[in-house]
Amino acid sequence: MNRLVTVAEMTLRELLRRRGVLLLLLLMPLTFYLIRRDAYLGQSVRSLLLGVGWAVSTAALFATTAARELEPRLRLAGYRPHHLYLGRMLGLWTVGVVISVPFFLLPMIDGADLRYGGLAAAMLCSVGVAAPFGMLIGALLPRELEGTLLLLTVVTVQMLIDPAGSGARLTPFWSSREIATWAVDHTDQGYLARGVLHGVVVTALLALSVAAVASVRLRRRRHLRHLSIG
Amino acid sequence: MNVDDWLRTLTAELHQRRVAADAARHVVAEVATHLREGGGDPLVVFGPPQQYAGAVVESIGTAPGPRPGPVRLHAEGITKRYRRRPVLRDATLTVRAGQIAAVIGANGCGKSTFLRICAGLVSPDAGEVTVSGRLGYCPQSGGTADFLLADEHFVLVGAGQGVARGPARRAGRAAARQLGWEAGGDVQARHLSGGTRQKLNLTMSTLSRPDVLLLDEPYQGFDQGTYVNFWDQLCRLRDAGTAIVVVTHLLNQLDRVDTVLDLTPAQTTGWHAPGVRGGHS
Repeated sequence: MNRLVTVAEMTLRELLRRRGVLLLLLLMPLTFYLIRRDAYLGQSVRSLLLGVGWAVSTAALFATTAARELEPRLRLAGYRPHHLYLGRMLGLWTVGVVISVPFFLLPMIDGADLRYGGLAAAMLCSVGVAAPFGMLIGALLPRELEGTLLLLTVVTVQMLIDPAGSGARLTPFWSSREIATWAVDHTDQGYLARGVLHGVVVTALLALSVAAVASVRLRRRRHLRHLSIG
Repeated sequence: MNVDDWLRTLTAELHQRRVAADAARHVVAEVATHLREGGGDPLVVFGPPQQYAGAVVESIGTAPGPRPGPVRLHAEGITKRYRRRPVLRDATLTVRAGQIAAVIGANGCGKSTFLRICAGLVSPDAGEVTVSGRLGYCPQSGGTADFLLADEHFVLVGAGQGVARGPARRAGRAAARQLGWEAGGDVQARHLSGGTRQKLNLTMSTLSRPDVLLLDEPYQGFDQGTYVNFWDQLCRLRDAGTAIVVVTHLLNQLDRVDTVLDLTPAQTTGWHAPGVRGGHS
């Protein structure tokens, strides 16, 4: 448990010291919100949620790429793979929740008539999905540029795809969009239930994928035999 | 080189050449007295410290080295290809507790790959490695977190072994001091100079008190004083029973090591110490 918390803490410390990145992380959802503010409020809130998802995924991607060289030696220092990826995920979720707070308050200050419980659930889904999503991309693509371009593609698809179409459910942030519809348009409970289920399932699948990739990458190699002494 | 630097280098040289501790202290005290009373540039009066240490060893001999202990690392028949290009062929190395092994060879001959295979970070195409005890590894570069402080690195590594924060910090600072670096402070790793960053890297690898220590050219960016401290620390670790493998291309250090593995293709060094069976056929 101590190892898990230490990795989470160090992830938090690293991200909090990247002040420029943090500023951009905060700027992005704000821009997404303001750019749609003159039109329909629902679009504005959905863009805000997508902005939060994009920002946390990007932070996760950078954190994962930065730890690529460090993790093998931490493995030798006594960490198990799950300490490393779960600790990092925990740290990223914490950062995500912290940066979500001002964006949760933004529509409130703006005087929007929303179901705020729904907005909170949508933000949690957005953050929940974004951390393992960014980590998975960071684990699969070794360079930040490729990872960022892939994230950009996914977010663009998410933004342009018809949410009612069946293909939309395959996009990672569909859950927050669905819950946001419930929160903004005061639709029936089905939107909330579908959204929460999608968010939980996608988060679990992404976390399992991160676990699988990390376990393979940081596995004990067969050629190495350890004997204990003393 | 001023008198203090010269004396420090001489002390390290005598230690590395395994002159008995009492005798070495005596020699250094005598030389220091001579220099302070008589004055003059030590390089003119006594010559280079390495040369003078050699003369001392010839004159008074060395303390018997500790008998090598049990085998700590045994790499057998390591073969590795990248795509179709063979990098390592049947490389074999045995290192015992209290020994330093050097892995040498030309650029691109697979020194780092061999070490990464020994650390279990890369799989070979053939061969196996047996490690007894705890393993420490220091990469050639990287291996640190840009935005963390040195103390935070020590805490992170310490937590892996279940060491509490305070003791981990103290142990890290003490190990860093051996390399002439005061590690406490609020400087992030990305702001450290290349050499200091390597000291952090090296300190992290020794922090878990490994039984087998694998070092991949860890001295890049070190100044002369740190380089001396580095070999001094290696000798201390060796005397404490650590089995050390160090990748190096600095052949002038080979007289300080117990075993050499030359990975240069189709070439032999002419000296294969016990426990070594060459790298390439």
